[in-house]
Amino acid sequence: MHTKGLVLRYTLLTLFSLLLLFPFAWLVSQSLKDTNQYFAVPFQWLPQPVMWSNFADVVFRYNFLHYIWNSLWLAGYAVFVNIFSSSFVAYGFSRFRFRGRNVLFLIVLATMMLPGQIMMISLYRFYREIGWIDTFYPLLIPKLFGSAFEIFLFRQFFLNLPREIDEAARLDGCGSLRTWWHIILPQSKPVIIVVAVFTFLGSWRELFGPLIYLTGDENRTLPLGMLYFTSPFGSSPALLMAAVVISLVPPVVLYVLGQRYIDKGVAIAEIK
Amino acid sequence: MSTIPAAAKRTWRQRLHSDGVRGYFYISPWLLGFLTFGVAPLIAAFLTSLTKANVFRTIRFVGVDNYEKILTDDPVFATIAKNMLIYVVGSTAVSIGLGLGLALLLQKDFRGNHVFRTVLYVPSLLVGIATAYLFKQVFRGGEVGLANMFLGLAGVGPVNWLGDSDRPWLALVALILVNVWFAGGTMLIFLAGLKGIPATYFEAARIDGAGPWQMFRKVTLPLLSPVLVFNTIMVLIGHIQVFETPLAFANNGGVATGNPLGYENSLGTFVTYLYVKGFIYQDMGYASALAFIMFALTLVLTVIVLWLARRFTAYGDAERN
Repeated sequence: MHTKGLVLRYTLLTLFSLLLLFPFAWLVSQSLKDTNQYFAVPFQWLPQPVMWSNFADVVFRYNFLHYIWNSLWLAGYAVFVNIFSSSFVAYGFSRFRFRGRNVLFLIVLATMMLPGQIMMISLYRFYREIGWIDTFYPLLIPKLFGSAFEIFLFRQFFLNLPREIDEAARLDGCGSLRTWWHIILPQSKPVIIVVAVFTFLGSWRELFGPLIYLTGDENRTLPLGMLYFTSPFGSSPALLMAAVVISLVPPVVLYVLGQRYIDKGVAIAEIK
Repeated sequence: MSTIPAAAKRTWRQRLHSDGVRGYFYISPWLLGFLTFGVAPLIAAFLTSLTKANVFRTIRFVGVDNYEKILTDDPVFATIAKNMLIYVVGSTAVSIGLGLGLALLLQKDFRGNHVFRTVLYVPSLLVGIATAYLFKQVFRGGEVGLANMFLGLAGVGPVNWLGDSDRPWLALVALILVNVWFAGGTMLIFLAGLKGIPATYFEAARIDGAGPWQMFRKVTLPLLSPVLVFNTIMVLIGHIQVFETPLAFANNGGVATGNPLGYENSLGTFVTYLYVKGFIYQDMGYASALAFIMFALTLVLTVIVLWLARRFTAYGDAERN
């Protein structure tokens, strides 16, 4: 009976995994075809000839190099800034007692429920007033103040760090700021990696903000580049699929690199 | 706790180093950000939702007119509300049902567990406009799309998923099906929850002769219910705010061309409609009112889930029996 259950498990999981992988295999195949092959019926899994040039075309002729660069540095900035600002705030929430702390932390959690679009409408008008539309400031400045989910992750992690080490550092005359920097952060590698991965992914795929704040071609991010993708030669879905492949590579690579920690990260985030 | 003799007056230096002051110092970035990028725009948006601007951008106070118009006199919104009802219910069922099912399949440790977990989880990290375009091609009409290729094998003729004028609901079905690929995220949270259930409970149930279904119904489900509630609420919020996939499905080459709400608004969602009203037609009052209605619906749904959870979780039963 036991082996029967296991066989069933394997069968279901294998079938479902194949179902999930199919579109991605299809995607790679289609991204390497020319337009005629793309629309060929019946479908050919192996492109002939293999159009590696699709990737070069998308990157160099359709300006995607520029979009990729914009997305990369925006995501890099978001990761860097978010690690510091969110861990700083989380340190305050996890290590000090002050009036209203629990209420304020509940508000942090509650902001995750608020649809960002409500704020974006007024912020958009404000940014338009001060001339920030079609600049990166609307995407850069708010990140300086920490973000709710990452503050939550850091706090959960900090609460499980032994306080004895902080105490010892304090008795040795280490100020709280130095304790955060020299004692807490060096112990927090797992959560830093999780926050880095989630922040990168969040920024990499962000569409609504860039869509309304960035108007010029020069400032487009990769998601915007795909959204506005048109070809002067009529529909060329193969090129679009090549762009899709390119934009899926960094998330997959990041997952592979941070895999060990992401599983733990989910455990950190578990509601307590 | 610091030990200050009751009689001694605290100096300003001590005050500055008190937990209270330092606590506020560390959370001050968030507090500042919350006030500037949260509270202030929220109030502004609410005030905006009570106004209407004409073509000359003269702003007029109109009270709850925007809300009234949306809820009673906007056929587009009526279609969208219907879309959202189908989409949110369908997608939540897919995300939760599939996520839980997969987590149960992976609950026990066996060879290859890790590989399956990775394959099932990674697609959920890829959600966004890129995968939206991928699935737009997958659900392409004619025989080219992958979905129709599969249906062809089963002898079903090609389905015009995204542009069938007689059956506009097909577009919604495609939109819901896309969530099959992103169930890995909820699966991983369910798995963490399952790991948190002590093995002794399963042992005890086994000794009492419980079958797999009873085990699930009487042990797993009640003990998993906090995670289930958490996941359901998060998934609901996510689905209510769906944006990229419907926009990509409706878009035909450059957002400027085509209707972002799809053929006969069949792909319209709250956020795409808000985008159209606020940022294409620049009707900020109307868009703000839409945003608040969306938020109110989110709150109502959250409360309903919490209420159902309180009513149906077997916590009380377990204690009584």
